[in-house]
Amino acid sequence: MWRVTVKGLLARKLRLALTAVSIVLGVTFITGTLVITDTLNSTLSSLFGSVYQRVDFQVQAPGVLKIPESVLGRVRAVPGVAYAAGGVSGYARFVAHDGNPISTGIEPAEGLAWVPAPALSAHQLVAGGAPTNPHDVVMDQATAKRYHFAVGDPVRVLLPGGEETFRISGIAGFVGAGDVPGATFASFSLPTAQKLFGAVGQLYTIDVLTRPGVNKQLVRQDIARLLPTGIQVVSGRTVAEQQASSAAQSVAPLTTVLLVFGLIALVVGAFTIFNTFSIIVGQRTRELALLRVVGAGRGQLLGSVLLEALLVATVASLVGLGLGVLAALGLEALLNALGVPLPSGPLVFEPATAAAGLGVGVIATLVAAVGPAWRAVRIPAVAALSAQTEEPESGSKRRILPGGVLAVLGLGTLGLGLGHASLATVGVGALGISVGGAMLAPGVARPFSSAIGTPLSRLLGISGHLGQVNAMRSPRRTAHSASALFVGLALVSAVSVIGASLAQAATSSVDNAIRADLIVSSSSGTLGPGVAREVSALPHVSSSCLAYGADFEVRGSTVALKGICTSDLAANVILRIVAGAAVPALSRGELLVDATTARTQHLRVGSLVSVSFPEAEHATIRVGGIFQPNALIGGYLVGDRFFQTHFPGQLPGAVLVSADRGYAGIVDEEVNRAVASNPNLTVQTRGQFEAAQTAAVDQALGLVYVLLALAVIIAFIGVANTLLLSVFERVRELGLLRAVGMQRRQVRVMVRAEAVIVALFGAIAGVVVGTGLGAAFTVALSRQQAATAVVVPYESLVVFLVIAILLGLAAASWPARRAARLDVLGAIGVE
Amino acid sequence: MADGIVDLSTTGSSGPLGPPASGGAAAHSIDLVKTYGKGAAEVAALAGVTVSFEAARFTAVMGPSGSGKSTLMHCMAGLDAPNSGRTYVGEQDLAKLDDRGLTQLRRDRIGFVFQAFNLVPTLTAAENITLPMDLARRRVDRDWFEYLVGELGIADWLSQRPSELSGGQQQRTACARALLSRPGLVFADEPTGNLDSNASAETLAFLRLSVSELGQTVVMVTHDSLAATFADRVVFMADGRLVAELASPTAGSVLAQMRELRH
Repeated sequence: MWRVTVKGLLARKLRLALTAVSIVLGVTFITGTLVITDTLNSTLSSLFGSVYQRVDFQVQAPGVLKIPESVLGRVRAVPGVAYAAGGVSGYARFVAHDGNPISTGIEPAEGLAWVPAPALSAHQLVAGGAPTNPHDVVMDQATAKRYHFAVGDPVRVLLPGGEETFRISGIAGFVGAGDVPGATFASFSLPTAQKLFGAVGQLYTIDVLTRPGVNKQLVRQDIARLLPTGIQVVSGRTVAEQQASSAAQSVAPLTTVLLVFGLIALVVGAFTIFNTFSIIVGQRTRELALLRVVGAGRGQLLGSVLLEALLVATVASLVGLGLGVLAALGLEALLNALGVPLPSGPLVFEPATAAAGLGVGVIATLVAAVGPAWRAVRIPAVAALSAQTEEPESGSKRRILPGGVLAVLGLGTLGLGLGHASLATVGVGALGISVGGAMLAPGVARPFSSAIGTPLSRLLGISGHLGQVNAMRSPRRTAHSASALFVGLALVSAVSVIGASLAQAATSSVDNAIRADLIVSSSSGTLGPGVAREVSALPHVSSSCLAYGADFEVRGSTVALKGICTSDLAANVILRIVAGAAVPALSRGELLVDATTARTQHLRVGSLVSVSFPEAEHATIRVGGIFQPNALIGGYLVGDRFFQTHFPGQLPGAVLVSADRGYAGIVDEEVNRAVASNPNLTVQTRGQFEAAQTAAVDQALGLVYVLLALAVIIAFIGVANTLLLSVFERVRELGLLRAVGMQRRQVRVMVRAEAVIVALFGAIAGVVVGTGLGAAFTVALSRQQAATAVVVPYESLVVFLVIAILLGLAAASWPARRAARLDVLGAIGVE
Repeated sequence: MADGIVDLSTTGSSGPLGPPASGGAAAHSIDLVKTYGKGAAEVAALAGVTVSFEAARFTAVMGPSGSGKSTLMHCMAGLDAPNSGRTYVGEQDLAKLDDRGLTQLRRDRIGFVFQAFNLVPTLTAAENITLPMDLARRRVDRDWFEYLVGELGIADWLSQRPSELSGGQQQRTACARALLSRPGLVFADEPTGNLDSNASAETLAFLRLSVSELGQTVVMVTHDSLAATFADRVVFMADGRLVAELASPTAGSVLAQMRELRH
């Protein structure tokens, strides 16, 4: 008896640990996500929030307008204005001592004009002095520290017009914030900045500080009165909000992904916690019944079970919180490794994170415990004492009706969403289908396991058959185990369908984008003045074509405009005209739009569009042609001559180069040699250009995959957990099997077969539903934006299933070993 | 092999894996010692047991609780390892077998009927009966199977699961399983402990028949004196030793012997 007691206790301890593990994992997941999101937001808001808190007003040019420099003098002359400083900004990237451009989390690398008035400046010198001549630059403290620069050092800077070497006149930090890691800036004297950023005689902003005691509103009105039309004055707070929101927007996709990830973590974690707890309480039914017989009340028992759950949940959640912080560090490293650099600040651990982590862990556990506990104490004590310790099978049927209704409603909503091209409605429908599907799972677990298991039985004999019937014996448990996988794999499959469709769309627009052999572009956005000339003069270059890029306003919203050569267009760019004309229209100064833009903006050949350019000019421009989407060009295209008249002095963004027949390789080498001295420039062959376009989609997909993979792995840990508990539950049966001649190897095969069936159940259901949802999203996306054909990446889906099988086997390895090592005598119940 | 129960019975007791030809022991042990616990708490479950179970005979092992009768059975069936002494099934020394060999021995040469929890709940009665053969991946002899289920009267319940069977039906299913592979030896551990008198009688009658008609060797651990009367020979244990033996037991002689043991 003593041995049995000790064994029971040990087993109980392990069960307790297993529950704790599932809670720890769920909480770790959520905490990690929240910590990294908070860290990101706090770094950004401390960066942008503090910068503008000292400015009273800012004169701004909305959209693509610029402010004539003369306005600055007039603003300074307004009574009550203490200081006014003009701002110009643009791309500027330092080059480290080792010759590599310095890249940080926040893009684009910012170059700006030094504000000479310390009272108004967001930056504060910590060493050296302000930039006074065209060769001076002030470097930010973080970059100087990290890359070992000191006052007086020469430093190479990549700029829109190419590379230049400056002397570091000073090193500055953010006022009040010191150095903000990730936020790099290069500050030049105002005239230098104007020259470097193509804004001679112009300003982007004017920051204003009033004298103490003046009526700020009156000053503001005075300033507003002298501004040219279109230019406005806003308060400092508005500027800070604008900056913070635009910063938040720049990382919004990432934080959204992380939060969605956190939610998935929550769902997967909750499934695991729920499953573990229902098994554990189910196993204690007999023990609870015994307590009932000796006089414990139902309420007392329920209370004690919940108290135990509360204790376990609290301790496990606290551990999870700690691990979550570590996970955040790991996640940050992971994202960096994936090429998604984040501005790295100190990790932020908000009280809300602790509350969320603890709350989710404790509440999910209590909710998971209360149902089974209630079931356990409601069974008549005598019945429970004589019953087998198998989970009762009520309830699975109860959920079929609501589950089915939910799934059908979800399907309807999805259809509605597709009809109205509303992504949100499609999303709601997808959610309904997923949850409904998960609720239906216990109903289909038995036939499904039977179907998957039959070939396994054929293959593995009686061990496989036993695995199959074990998977079928408790459909609810199988379904819960599989549900977490179902959710994970449905998401992975949906993402892969959407990704494959987008990549296909990107590839098809790339395939049809350029005919040139090479494309030379710059990380700063524009090429130096000499580059295009130098490249096109190389031997064996048959033709070249300059491409320009800038922003302009169409019907009030700022969009990207491309300007392209009209003379050698056909030799370098593939423009598939679907209506109107190409070169003739471009030469006439007409606008070309791509088919997607034409559809969303309701434009036709001959439509007149009101646009405005940076010099505050408004114009009406005629649509001369519509072309198929082209990765190089984007939505709006004009001819180079037209472009130059509206963006005077703007440098080209890229040059396309075609070689004489058979000389592509030689020209590639020559061009590379010619631009080798400029690290800003990239030379791509047509193939590399095409690959680079889809690389962006691939990178985004890679990130999502990694995050989802973590969720799927957590789901598999849940499967392992459930299996292990099942093994404990079936100790006598395992003993019997071993006694009548089952080899250890056969025991392992049996447990693994069950794991593979559960894994395949979740995976197949997930892949099927996920593929459908992915296709639905793609269709919705296609109706709303770019035309995208649904591409089902069959190879990937098969790979997912294979991975699911492998992970299922991995999940089974410990439970299988445990089951095989079981002491036969102890198991068959010796006194 | 197709025809004749007589034929089957002879192969059953003299096949390549079977016990030596009649007259020899199907299993025997020499000076078995098995202790549990350590130091002061040490309990000797077997304190030097030498016993032989003759082939084609029905032997009952009796004794009060804690006398070591179950431990003896476990050691002789390769389910437990003695601290010292030797155990043989046929000519095979169990000490020379590893877990794999012992498992194979149990599967191919020993049949088991336990007191309770004899059947795998997820398998049908038929699947339970063929379980050891399926584990060995051996072909089931259909004629032998049909004969056994017919004799045991369970042909109508073959596709039922254990939870749908009565205790007696479960026990008879276990008997069919124990005999299907024609083992050299059947161990029955309190096979009637959980049964009413009718079901007990049916089960015992079948075990008796398997010895008398089919030449099977059965060793049954029991503390039911009525059950012991079905045996050819009863050995009595107390405090881990063999203390007495009865040939051709009757209810009266068994009871008298048990009463003596308690004093």
